[in-house]
Amino acid sequence: MSLFGYLRSTILSKVVMAITGAVLVLYVIVHTAGNMLIFIGKDSLNSYSAFLHSLGPILWIIRAVLILSAILHIITSIKLKFENLAAKPSKYAVKNYLKAKLSSRTMIWTGIMILSFVVYHLLHFTFRTTNPQHYYPEFYQPHNAVSSIIIERFDVYRMVVLGFQNPLISIVYIVGVILVGFHLDHAIQSMFQTLGYNQKHYFPTIQKCSTTLAIIIVLCLVSIPISVLLGFIGGEI
Amino acid sequence: MKLTLHIWRQKNTNAKGHFETYIMDNVIEDMSFLEMLDVLNERLILEGKEPVAFDHDCREGICGACSLTINGIPHGPEKGTTTCQLHMRKFKDGDEIWIEPFRARAFPVIKDLIVDRSAFDRIIQAGGFISVNTGQAPEANSILVPKKNADTAMDAAQCIGCGACVAACPNGAAMLFVAAKVSHFAYLPQGQPERKLRVLKMVEQMQKDGFGNCSNYYECEAACPKQISVKFIALMNRDYLKASFSDEKSELIRNQLA
Repeated sequence: MSLFGYLRSTILSKVVMAITGAVLVLYVIVHTAGNMLIFIGKDSLNSYSAFLHSLGPILWIIRAVLILSAILHIITSIKLKFENLAAKPSKYAVKNYLKAKLSSRTMIWTGIMILSFVVYHLLHFTFRTTNPQHYYPEFYQPHNAVSSIIIERFDVYRMVVLGFQNPLISIVYIVGVILVGFHLDHAIQSMFQTLGYNQKHYFPTIQKCSTTLAIIIVLCLVSIPISVLLGFIGGEI
Repeated sequence: MKLTLHIWRQKNTNAKGHFETYIMDNVIEDMSFLEMLDVLNERLILEGKEPVAFDHDCREGICGACSLTINGIPHGPEKGTTTCQLHMRKFKDGDEIWIEPFRARAFPVIKDLIVDRSAFDRIIQAGGFISVNTGQAPEANSILVPKKNADTAMDAAQCIGCGACVAACPNGAAMLFVAAKVSHFAYLPQGQPERKLRVLKMVEQMQKDGFGNCSNYYECEAACPKQISVKFIALMNRDYLKASFSDEKSELIRNQLA
């Protein structure tokens, strides 16, 4: 059986969607929590970034898992979508949805938009090709250093603030993050259903948590560009 | 009560269908939806026109023969009810009603509102048998079934195989139907020996018949006249996953290769 042999099975395809989705959701949660360090201050965010870069091979293992998950998630979703379109060749003249939420019916579209947003996000902050003028090193002296060692590290804080001071970039991020939230509203509870965890007593709670978690992630991430635009953070750079 | 009906007319499977509009005067609110269509058909016959073809049998809500997607909802707006048990008092004077067949690739239209649901029969056949002795009914206490399991099995066994789940699903998926059939044996001791083989074979047949994939929209559960829960789909997913890594799966692959 080849790596993509699972694609022949409808349920195994769904399981792969759920597991790769879970990996990506966990990453989004950790990423959001890490980003919140910007509210503590420049030093926290930059040390966090320096810590991540110091992980070396571990960082690359994490990246490999994320890239593999994203690729499998995308390939599987496209295959499922084409099969689904083929399975319903004629549409109803009138269709009343009873339970399907807008977020569940637009998963493929929010997915495609999130993918383009992620590509932009990586070009902007990871490869730093869209705004290379925002990239500065920071010369930093640790508080508890015995001698006066000066460490050079990447000034993430300044890059983020300079980026978000451009309202256009901020709007792209706000829209992108809201799309992620919309996708997650359906995705998180869907993961549990697909993997077979649906019992009468706690599934309604899982559904509520799915929406709540999506809203929390959106509020946290959106608060960064808004705070920069309003001048709550970044005054000191 | 006066109603405007837009009814899907299609000569045969390969013909192109279209809507025809009929004005119904004097609809009595005690009529069932199908009786209202009977009245229309009597009128069409008197006028020398082709009556509207639609499926029906017991008209008691238990056989699964009737279908129809009424205003975009399989079996109409009344929750947990088949079309035959839907009464005209649920509509208002002057209402416009759109009546369409159950739509899915796996359910080709035979004529007008009648669709071919024999894909469901093929899935049931693929499920195979359960190992019990035939002949006289066994002593009731020889195999003990916990009350809770018996109740859950009965919840799944309520499925009448009408196909509303497929009709409601934006993907034309048959997951709720297959899940109900898989689950009602999965909760009973008599269903255990063939449990893994059954889920593998039924899901395989479901895919062969061209049903779509599950996107967890939960439209099926909302449209089901027997209100079967999507928790059975979760159970089927679980069972399928376990069975995919079992001896039964290897045996199936070996048989297919041979």
